[in-house]
Amino acid sequence: MAHFAVEDLTFTYPEAKKEALSGVSISIEKGEYVTLCGKSGSGKTTLMRHLKTVLTPHGKRTGRILFDGQLLDTVSLREQSARIGYVMQDPDSQIVTDKVWHELAFGLESLGCDQKTMRLRVAEMANYFGIGTWFHRNVAELSGGQKQLLNLASIMAMQPDALILDEPTSQLDPIAAADFLNTVRKINLELGTTVILSEHRLEEVFPSADRVIVMENGKVLAEDTPRRIGQRLHAEQSDMAAALPSPMRIFYGVGSSLDCPLTVREGRRWLSEELKDTKIRQDSLPDPGETEEPEAKDAAVALKEVWFRYEKDAPDVLRGTSLSVPKGTLFAVVGGNGTGKSTMLKTVCGICRPYRGKVMIDGKRIEKYKAEELFRGNLAMLPQDPQSLFVKKTVEEDLVEMLADVPGSIGEKEELINGVARDCEVMGLLSSHPYDLSGGEQQRAALAKVLLCRPRILLLDEPTKGIDNFYKQKLAEILDRLKAKGATVLMVSHDVEFCAQYADSVSMFFDGGVVTTNTPARFFSQNSFYTTAANRMSRHMFKNAVTNGDVIELCRINKQN
Amino acid sequence: MRFDSWHPAVNFIFFGIVIASAISFDQPVFLAIGYACSFAYSVKLNGKRAVCFNLALIPLIVLFALFYSGYNHFGVTNLAVNFIGNQLTLEALVSGFVIGTRAASVLMWFSCMNAVVSSDKVVYLFGRVSPRLSLFLSILLRMVPRVKERARKIGAAQRAIGRGAGQGGLLRRMRNGMRIASIVITWTMESMIGTSDSMKSRGYTLRGRTAFSIYRFDYRDRSFVLVLFGCAAILLMGILLDQTCILYDPEIILNRITPLSGIFYAAYALLCLLPMLVQIMGERRFARQRKAGCENV
Repeated sequence: MAHFAVEDLTFTYPEAKKEALSGVSISIEKGEYVTLCGKSGSGKTTLMRHLKTVLTPHGKRTGRILFDGQLLDTVSLREQSARIGYVMQDPDSQIVTDKVWHELAFGLESLGCDQKTMRLRVAEMANYFGIGTWFHRNVAELSGGQKQLLNLASIMAMQPDALILDEPTSQLDPIAAADFLNTVRKINLELGTTVILSEHRLEEVFPSADRVIVMENGKVLAEDTPRRIGQRLHAEQSDMAAALPSPMRIFYGVGSSLDCPLTVREGRRWLSEELKDTKIRQDSLPDPGETEEPEAKDAAVALKEVWFRYEKDAPDVLRGTSLSVPKGTLFAVVGGNGTGKSTMLKTVCGICRPYRGKVMIDGKRIEKYKAEELFRGNLAMLPQDPQSLFVKKTVEEDLVEMLADVPGSIGEKEELINGVARDCEVMGLLSSHPYDLSGGEQQRAALAKVLLCRPRILLLDEPTKGIDNFYKQKLAEILDRLKAKGATVLMVSHDVEFCAQYADSVSMFFDGGVVTTNTPARFFSQNSFYTTAANRMSRHMFKNAVTNGDVIELCRINKQN
Repeated sequence: MRFDSWHPAVNFIFFGIVIASAISFDQPVFLAIGYACSFAYSVKLNGKRAVCFNLALIPLIVLFALFYSGYNHFGVTNLAVNFIGNQLTLEALVSGFVIGTRAASVLMWFSCMNAVVSSDKVVYLFGRVSPRLSLFLSILLRMVPRVKERARKIGAAQRAIGRGAGQGGLLRRMRNGMRIASIVITWTMESMIGTSDSMKSRGYTLRGRTAFSIYRFDYRDRSFVLVLFGCAAILLMGILLDQTCILYDPEIILNRITPLSGIFYAAYALLCLLPMLVQIMGERRFARQRKAGCENV
């Protein structure tokens, strides 16, 4: 008997013209690991919320949902609470209580367990999830990754037999995300818990999923094993193909007749096999050469031995950071969590004032600028959490508000807003509430708002966090257009793949300072861990292939000869 | 070793007794004992900060006594006549001192309580009364810092595009500040929907909620309570025997201090010092054991 069976489910939100789900039929077996993917707005969340009665949205619905052969609506609340675990996107708002230990017990308290059972279960969970060291802490002190792990643990304490996870890693950095997904995998393997996961980081989940369900416009587009899904998406030239793991994309780019690889390990083996009979004549692409660091007075942004700390007695966050960003380039700074990357951006836009060293904007010290001058036509920052930028009820009002104090006629302003909205592709979102948008949409709307400052220097803090590959491409296009207009972009990011593909220079940030700066090709081909999947997959054959395109290109060149 | 590792109920009983007695005793010996003990314990717990705080209270006590005697003129022992012809009396002055010292002593006990009783202990005790009430408290304790953090984040984001609450002219600043405040409210509502979903999903609405606690009532707690109640009983006896009685108006009349009174004073002192003694004993034993352990190795 299937664990969950959805039969011909059609659902329309109140006052919506379009069906959010139309004729969805899926069946999920016990102990299966199913990944749900699709662009934002394809109905993933709506479908998942239907699998638990208390979370089911209001609206018009036909069709039925069976849980363990029983109509889901008739399964009691108590049973549903314990047996169906649901983890949501935002790690923060899901946490109810103020202490880690209390949060772990929350579900058990609801079920009315006695002290003894609760003690045991909580102890078990703390051990299994490695929470022991932060068991007594306030939840406010935890990192995003720890918070999401706590959410998972507090649900697992109720011993559910199905786990539904709605984009649980979209707000986490790549390392925490991989950690979280590994834990989910472990639960699935060791406890046999059914896992239904929606995710846009397909690189991480493809190798572990038993089955992938692709959704589009509220319909199930495809439903198959990861390998065959990849094949189908590629064959149909779907937008979703951009989200496939690098080894798969390279495989299809080269057009091989062998088996499709899913992981880097399989990718390496496949590449060796593929080029077995080919003599490698050219193992590297032409190198554009070293980037030259401009003089501080010619640079768009220059930091000269900047030192900064948040409190008088706190340790230094920036420890003699020096950096110079050439005009008209996309400059990326990569590095681990808590190394001070975001703080560096804050010193560039004057939120943090260094106690030693110089910050130069366009060759002039930042202190010499008036706030008006600095933020009108010079500098603007897109924060890590784009949501914190919105202050109005609709996107349009938010954009209009940006020009409220700027002289000019209404017509001119409207034109300006429309231009920016077109550039950022948010024309269709203007009347929505900014909080209702998906991650990628929020990012673009926030970018539009920031661009209305008409900055010549744009600062981006983790611009690719929580957005899927399809939107990343769009973001890259927008940044390209900005660059063409002469703007400089300084970006800090965890996203190695994005930086490798689109940046002009990449710097490594570590321990409060910039360690090295180079072109992406040189930078990533020198690293062996901190580098792209394409590079890790091909480094035994090629010297400086960093992006998927590089590998495909080199394969093509060598095969031709 | 510190008192906060004891069961919350024990913490509350102790502070309940000492604060109640600090408020009610105006007999100078008891008062002095209470004052000295609260002084010592707060210094033991909070170190230098407590010393500064406690010393700063002393001039306030003196000031209060002067103020009090300037407005109250009961008593028979005249000290002086002030410029409008009212008499300043010894009784009123002493009475003022006593009230000031009582207040200072209560404040010092509160500073001790602050160091020992954490929010989870309060939440736990409420949980014994009603699990829902304690959960509500816990949610509140989570909401407040979260909203603050959010306001800070939004403020920073606005500043990075030149629209912070501290940028521009006065009018602009006010407008920016209002905007930020209004969006923080919207955000709070929005995030509460997420929280309530997560609560519902984990069966919040089910009947028969229990409250989990990480505390156990041990043998150690039991023996502490026994000693505490022993002292309290002796103290109560003292109260019934009018040992704590004193008159300030019209004349200072103190019950005779007999050798038996010493027992009541000792009991009160022991009661007040109990957590501190236990802590010191624990620390001594720990040091000794570690030393012994080192020698054996």
